[in-house]
Amino acid sequence: MSDFCPHSPPRSAYLHIPFCFRRCFYCDFVVVPLGDKANGAIGPGSESIKAYLKLLHREISVSEKGPPLSTVYIGGGTPSLLSSTQISDLIEHLRRHFGFQDGSELTLEVDPGSFNEQGLDLYIDCGINRFSLGAQSFDDYFLEQIGRKHRFKNLAESCFLLDQAYKKKNISSWSLDLIQNLPGQSFSSWEKQLSQAIETSAPHLSIYDLSIEPGTVFAWREKRGELDLPKEDLAMEISRATVSMLKRAGFGRYEISNFAFPGHASRHNRVYWSGAGWWGFGQGATSSPWGQRLARPKTRDLYRSWVEFQEIHGPDPSLQASNAKKIAFDEQLIVGLRSREGVDLEALAKANGCNSAQRVAYLQPLKSRWQAFVEEGLLIRSGKRFRLSDPQGFEITNQVLVEMLLWWDSLPNDAVLLPNSRVPL
Amino acid sequence: MTDVPVSRLRNFCIIAHIDHGKSTLADRLLQDTGTVSGRDMQDQFLDNMDLERERGITIKLQAARMNYKASDGEEYVLNLIDTPGHVDFSYEVSRSLQACEGALLVVDASQGVEAQTLANVYLALENDLEIIPVLNKIDLPGAEPEKIKHEIEQIIGLDSSKAISCSAKTGLGITEILQAVVDRIPPPTDSPGQATKALIFDSYYDSYRGVIVYFRLISGVINVKDKVLLMASKKSYELDEIGVMAPEQLRVDELHAGEVGYLAASIKAVADARVGDTITLLNSPAEDPLPGYKEAKPMVFCGLFPTDADQYPDLREALDKLQLSDAALKYEPETSSAMGFGFRCGFLGLLHMEIVQERLEREYDLDLIVTAPSVIYKVNMMDGEILMIDNPAILPDPQKRESIEEPYVRMEIYAPNDYNGTLMGLCQERRGDFLDMKYITTDRVTLIYEIPLGEVVTDFFDQMKSRTKGYASMEYHLIGYRPNDLVRLDVLINSEKADPLTTIVHRDKAYGVGKGLVEKLKELIPRQQFKIPLQASIGSRIIASESISAMRKDVLAKCYGGDISRKKKLLQKQAKGKKRMKAMGKVDVPQEAFMAVLKLDQ
Repeated sequence: MSDFCPHSPPRSAYLHIPFCFRRCFYCDFVVVPLGDKANGAIGPGSESIKAYLKLLHREISVSEKGPPLSTVYIGGGTPSLLSSTQISDLIEHLRRHFGFQDGSELTLEVDPGSFNEQGLDLYIDCGINRFSLGAQSFDDYFLEQIGRKHRFKNLAESCFLLDQAYKKKNISSWSLDLIQNLPGQSFSSWEKQLSQAIETSAPHLSIYDLSIEPGTVFAWREKRGELDLPKEDLAMEISRATVSMLKRAGFGRYEISNFAFPGHASRHNRVYWSGAGWWGFGQGATSSPWGQRLARPKTRDLYRSWVEFQEIHGPDPSLQASNAKKIAFDEQLIVGLRSREGVDLEALAKANGCNSAQRVAYLQPLKSRWQAFVEEGLLIRSGKRFRLSDPQGFEITNQVLVEMLLWWDSLPNDAVLLPNSRVPL
Repeated sequence: MTDVPVSRLRNFCIIAHIDHGKSTLADRLLQDTGTVSGRDMQDQFLDNMDLERERGITIKLQAARMNYKASDGEEYVLNLIDTPGHVDFSYEVSRSLQACEGALLVVDASQGVEAQTLANVYLALENDLEIIPVLNKIDLPGAEPEKIKHEIEQIIGLDSSKAISCSAKTGLGITEILQAVVDRIPPPTDSPGQATKALIFDSYYDSYRGVIVYFRLISGVINVKDKVLLMASKKSYELDEIGVMAPEQLRVDELHAGEVGYLAASIKAVADARVGDTITLLNSPAEDPLPGYKEAKPMVFCGLFPTDADQYPDLREALDKLQLSDAALKYEPETSSAMGFGFRCGFLGLLHMEIVQERLEREYDLDLIVTAPSVIYKVNMMDGEILMIDNPAILPDPQKRESIEEPYVRMEIYAPNDYNGTLMGLCQERRGDFLDMKYITTDRVTLIYEIPLGEVVTDFFDQMKSRTKGYASMEYHLIGYRPNDLVRLDVLINSEKADPLTTIVHRDKAYGVGKGLVEKLKELIPRQQFKIPLQASIGSRIIASESISAMRKDVLAKCYGGDISRKKKLLQKQAKGKKRMKAMGKVDVPQEAFMAVLKLDQ
């Protein structure tokens, strides 16, 4: 994997489908809850979905063209609220606009119980070859506690269908999302759930620590002291158990929260951590095709105006190749250190225009700031790269990044490494 | 500029407690005499520094000259000399009082007389000033002018039958005040033929003209062509300009006895033209200076260290500059193994210390670590030597010292009698010796204690305020040194001695303070990647210990395309917090931790 080439055009696209049955208690994404009875092309909310998709197609139409895509990720929200025809239309639109490379990875996020065997086949017929299943938990108690609609029964069915499809080689991979350290979680209940996840034979698992985001149901419950979150020692035990159990089961940890059998890492997500660019489409979606991130408006009306504005005036400047910029060095480290490979400081500095003398002058202070982590085995220097050790280093990623930001803040204002603007701490 | 005979000059000041409306009243006087037009009026005109306006208190005094046509149809010149209202600056108050013949005693008509007011009124009476009682904020619903008048008579012994009721806010009573200044305050004494003597009552540093000196001409004449001699600093200067404050500086050629004015003479630092010094003429000097000059002596000391060692030269430069305008500020280099290079600084009091710290951070953009304040201890050594120690960390070992003496103050606390119990409790906790309790009115009382200054410069003031809902006020002055059984309490962070946290305490309190200190530090120091032992010790004996467990997990679960901006902000916030900390060995210690000793629940 190359560490990032600032001027190579994006080969990935993210499509945001903001509809959900309900808003889960931990979720702070841009979503539009439609109610539990929402259902594809006919149920409540179907008109809203149709209107939204029209806008989404319009946004793709006004985008600059680019080379064929290597990965597409349709996320949300709950994209499986869309009919296969609607998914197909989106994919075909991307194919006409950009085209697809051979062997491209097309991922669809799906909710457990939101598809049957026939539905799954229709999605596959659209060209989807990877599914990400929002399992979150295998335990009905916790599913209830976190506000999910689905139950274990639905999850088991969906896993069975995906496993079948994978074994028949109808899809190239599939993944499960789980949340660990939920309120009230015990070590044994977590061990059991993780075993169940492993038993599904999913070749890819994303295991997230619960994080309490502002504005969510959990945030105000925590404020009122109602959340019985696992204490630090238990939380550590749970996280460590995850790492060792998955390792034993043959998974590799290729990012802080992502585990995969060899060859099953999500190519799309690795784009984010590599510092390469991506297209983004849809309400609330973020894009960064040419080194500048752009978050789209989070409400439908503003998003519509934004699309209409571009139809008249052309794409937003950040979406035009002629405005390509380098992604700031500090951000490349923030994302890069999350991955198993870590970062090659020298190569990154070189790509940011530093000659060898400048590389020494700028990078040496960072290396000395990081020295304590290296000595404690939290940060590993192998060859030209720095990477966090697993699990100890990954567990304190922020501490390493905070030192990096302090270094960044201390660089002289005329340092070649700096982007045009740097926000002082 | 009106030139008036001495008989139509009036020099006066305003004595008031903080919040009793002195600055508002001064503003109103300037406005009603047309000295400052309503358009140019900024609230609290005399308080020049931003800090003063924000805190609503006067730190540096100022003066203003007003022209007023009195009821006799004559034009009078009224010089208002502003005084600071805080105990830290009582010496400056005494100098400004000497420059006046009268004072307006401003008392909040609902709050009554406070300790600081009382202290200043007594100073004014000692200086033979004519005092005009003024009841301010008469427009407020809680105003009780009759009761407060009675209080003024009872407490101060002033005839308050002619007290003026006013509201500086609405303008009520302002004319009466101006007329009373003319009628009741005597003009300065004329002194034809006497040698020139002028009292410096304030000075400040101007980066273009050098020190600007404010003075009151007691006798003789000063002409802009004169050469002047400052009698205490023994330095002589050619004058660049002299003038009056109208309130903007307005040049004149000559000033006469009784007048208040300013001079600029390319004086490099305020230390060369100190408040209280006497100005005379170089060619025909006065024989004796005016009485009462003394150098303001710092009473409170602390260490100032830059968070970032690279800022040390900047800190030195900033202190050099501040000292140009603040003669009371003292500093010398201090090196601590734990903190690196910094300065030991001396201040008049806690407020002065806070002001300097804030000015350094605000005006010079420095990130500072300030250590807990200390007083000067007198250490009698076995070999007969006497050491004055302003830094607890350098207190010699017990084997080498015979005894330690600490400074004591006589403190008067003034409060409604409901709070007697709680205030006496506070004073007792702080090792105060009770002297007297006086009922001033039926429901207000003065408590008099002798108490170690070291106990006062901690959180005494805050405690007093919070335990009395803000009703109590206090005043103190140094009375001398007394021996006590004092010990040096050291703190070890991660097994390394943390000099800046060393404190000197009474042996009986050492255990409690030590325990409180390590507990507080445990709260204040953030967790790091390793376990941090915290210990308090007397000599080699550990008297309290705690530990901060290792930070085990500090990681963001998710970071995909849409998360990066927000996650970066979180990390930046964390980095910003860390930047404000001081690395002591391997441990990052935040500023608040250095003040932990002030925050113990005693």
